[in-house]
Amino acid sequence: MGIIKVRDLIYEYIRRDEEGNVEGITTAVDDVSLDIRQGDFVAILGHNGSGKSTLAKHLNAILYPTEGTVWVDGKDTRDDAAVWDIRQTAGMVFQNPDNQIIGQVVEEDVGFGPENMGVPTREIWERVEESLKAVGMYQFRKFSPNKLSGGQKQRVSIAGVIAMHPKCIVLDEPTAMLDPKGRGEVIRAVRALNDVERITIILITHYMEEVIYADKVYVMDKGKVTLEGTPREVFSEVERLKELRLDVPQVTLLAHELRREGFPMPKGVLTNQEFVEALDRCISEAGG
Amino acid sequence: MPIILDKVSHIYGEDTAMAVMALNNISLVIPDGQFIGLIGHTGSGKSTLAQHLNGLMKATAGNIYFNGEDIDAQDFDKKMLRSKVGLVFQYPEHQLFETDVFADVCFGPKNLGLSKKEIELRAYEALKLVGLEDDYFYQSPFDLSGGQKRRVAIAGVLAMKPDVLILDEPTAGLDPKGRDEILDQIARLKRETGITVLLVSHSMDDVAKYVDRIIVMNKGSVMYDDAPREVFRHYQELEEIGLAAPQVTYIMKALRDHGYDVSDEVTTIAEAREEISNYFARFAAARKER
Repeated sequence: MGIIKVRDLIYEYIRRDEEGNVEGITTAVDDVSLDIRQGDFVAILGHNGSGKSTLAKHLNAILYPTEGTVWVDGKDTRDDAAVWDIRQTAGMVFQNPDNQIIGQVVEEDVGFGPENMGVPTREIWERVEESLKAVGMYQFRKFSPNKLSGGQKQRVSIAGVIAMHPKCIVLDEPTAMLDPKGRGEVIRAVRALNDVERITIILITHYMEEVIYADKVYVMDKGKVTLEGTPREVFSEVERLKELRLDVPQVTLLAHELRREGFPMPKGVLTNQEFVEALDRCISEAGG
Repeated sequence: MPIILDKVSHIYGEDTAMAVMALNNISLVIPDGQFIGLIGHTGSGKSTLAQHLNGLMKATAGNIYFNGEDIDAQDFDKKMLRSKVGLVFQYPEHQLFETDVFADVCFGPKNLGLSKKEIELRAYEALKLVGLEDDYFYQSPFDLSGGQKRRVAIAGVLAMKPDVLILDEPTAGLDPKGRDEILDQIARLKRETGITVLLVSHSMDDVAKYVDRIIVMNKGSVMYDDAPREVFRHYQELEEIGLAAPQVTYIMKALRDHGYDVSDEVTTIAEAREEISNYFARFAAARKER
């Protein structure tokens, strides 16, 4: 079994009016099944309200299924005795870095998780050091978090999760509040964790460019997985993604628009390098 | 109603050990009817600058003139300034509070002491301007989607009938379609009403697509102030301060580096498509001659 297995997951919540009377039931996640293998880099896309954050909150037992089952590293999330193991296995990073940092000093903040797990003091410091190095924040270990930029704070949040030695990290729009530099820093740190440490990554984002290195992309709409595949397969569906209120990377869009003008550009161009090569082929087909 | 900043500085915690120079000797003219993008990394002074323009913050040195009048003068009407220069904060939907959408948008003009009829007319117009359908007017603002809530919040500022609209990252946290909808709506609003718009943004692609002038802030100073094409010509300097050129500019640079004779001073997808089409047309014509 993979690190995360979701079978026929349905999550419903009851809407109530101001007096607490039931107004209706909303199905936020509607019959979703996923298999994520250890070491995968998985991206989840979807418009606001498509159910992706609700799904993510099932992966470390913040929410429990109404119907269906979620297993994290073989453990059913509805098993109360397994909750702490599950949260240690699947760490979570949220959108706003200011809501996730509690320590007065960076290294203390990162040590908070392992300390709560009862890790011996000496090992806590070892974990703090390796975690901060993994996200490139070791030189800031003595800083106060409020002196850091958004991207730096978000990397400290990620270090705090890594210090608990998770097998999997779920990131729910970790770059939404950051400037371009901060976004780049966070995504590079996340990719390094996946490449070097083989930590499973589940990245939820609204920035299409952050997704092109993923092994697999799931696109959600109305609580269901409506598209899935490699980034190239998913981003080949330009019109379909637009219907789903999403987009494609700018380079993919330019290639797509040239294709529509009659250039023999392939579908699903993902990088500038691929774009140049594709244009070279257009030239040679034109007899250059 | 132009805004003029004359050598404006702002020091946080002046005369303390923690003093930080947030704005350093800024001089700018914001004439009527421009669509301006204000960019800079987190902490560069963008939001501090924006809050000076409607008198929410007071310059520690220098002067700001609205329509020729010094906004820090004793007899200057700051209430008028705040209705004429509308400021939409980040995540403005957090400021919604009324029981229904229409009441929320009425709140601003109500405080201007207008008649009930005038208030309702303004609220109606503002909601139409942001493209919200009538069906939503009497719903709780909290039942709307993220993009809709944000439009209601913007309508609340528009109902004050400002001459200048300042938006601090209006698209943060929205899905791609939501981003396009909000920005298209703002561009349309600017076309139809001739209002001045100042857009604080982290997205170079958005700024390149919509604005006619870009102000780049770095460490409290204005680093560049020019048309998008001119500003993005300095992409290396922009990268050094944590910004970048639009993605499409890098595609064109990659083509040039590979030997293609195309311009890399391209900042939008439409321009790039045209540049590449023209290149192929020239290529085909040259082949025919041979």
